[in-house]
Amino acid sequence: MNIQKLNVCMDILKKDLGEGFVASCIITTEDGQVLVATDKANIAEATLLNDATAFMRNALKTYPAELGQYYYIDVAGNMAVLVIPFGDYQWTITVNKKLVKLGLLLNVVLPAIINAFEDAVVS
Amino acid sequence: MGRDVKKDFKLIIDNDELENMPVADTSIKDELQRWPLFGLSVGSFLQVIAMEQQTCIMEVYLSANHWGHFCFVEGELYDAVYGDLNGEIAAMEMISWENVRLNIKQILNTSSVVRKIDKNLMLLMMESSRRRDEVQENGHHADGEDVDDIEEMEVIADDVERAKLSACLNMMSKDMGDALMAASISNVNEGKVMASFHASPETAEAFLRLTKYMKNAFSANTANNLGDHYILDLKDRQTLVVLIIGEHQWCIVFKNDKCTLGLLRNVVMPKVIRTFNEMNIG
Repeated sequence: MNIQKLNVCMDILKKDLGEGFVASCIITTEDGQVLVATDKANIAEATLLNDATAFMRNALKTYPAELGQYYYIDVAGNMAVLVIPFGDYQWTITVNKKLVKLGLLLNVVLPAIINAFEDAVVS
Repeated sequence: MGRDVKKDFKLIIDNDELENMPVADTSIKDELQRWPLFGLSVGSFLQVIAMEQQTCIMEVYLSANHWGHFCFVEGELYDAVYGDLNGEIAAMEMISWENVRLNIKQILNTSSVVRKIDKNLMLLMMESSRRRDEVQENGHHADGEDVDDIEEMEVIADDVERAKLSACLNMMSKDMGDALMAASISNVNEGKVMASFHASPETAEAFLRLTKYMKNAFSANTANNLGDHYILDLKDRQTLVVLIIGEHQWCIVFKNDKCTLGLLRNVVMPKVIRTFNEMNIG
């Protein structure tokens, strides 16, 4: 894990999302500890989503299917949460969905940050 | 519990009953062998044939004097025959039959098949359910309140709702073609699966529990509640979309290389939801 590269990930994210960026944090999946977090990041939410990811993986076994690169949760009001589980880490990103279109988020921002995240994790 | 048993349709090949039958009953035996499948309602089997887009004749046997057949071409109901009746009238009569025996025959050449039914199968089933409701209601008024009647009415109401939701899934299946991998609609409050397409009840129930978990997690730990959908990227180019519409949860798994998320959200779902709302469900 390269912390410097992880910070670069956050910078890319903020730059790409602009005004639509709300908060973000990266936690370890094993113990839910925070590695990097921006202002306004909801740590409790990020930790609960760590459990939600495990819940999803189990639910998908009944289909059967496996979770891919991300999941996106619509939140009542203006917010939405994008979660990227990767190995021992999970990146949670909160966006203002009124300012960031879903297509832009999933097709433009996501591929760029996933590459950067993978690079940071394996370094 | 009794209600659950009623819903647990099982397709049974009834060989034991036939094998144990006395030799003297060979004519009955031969007759029953013509309809080797039983344990389903007519409506349930019609939906299976429509969904699988089969071209076949489905023979239905209720009793010695009550039998007929439905004719399907690529999942579309073309004709039905019951005694002297045919077309829509015959179909309406037979759709509500339960505990029937069935036989399926393949149609090899469809050139001579004349289409006598234009109405969508789901509309016919809904109309049949509505008529059954009316008959039940009249009986109810005549007989006075009775626990069995109330339970029966609840079962019928449940059946109507299930038929409507199945119609929505059927529409989605037609619109999405082979991009649709699986779908289910569940009642969030009652925790039961109402309609499904290639989806196991276990998966639908597991996602009901997940939604409940996330609802609680969001309301207890954040300033906002869970919204009306979540999207899971899956391996093998599949995407799962969970939509919460009123008291129903829709789980849709589709191949994202054959149907984009944008197409699902902006074209398929608005049409299905419009139909769903027009049916006054929930």
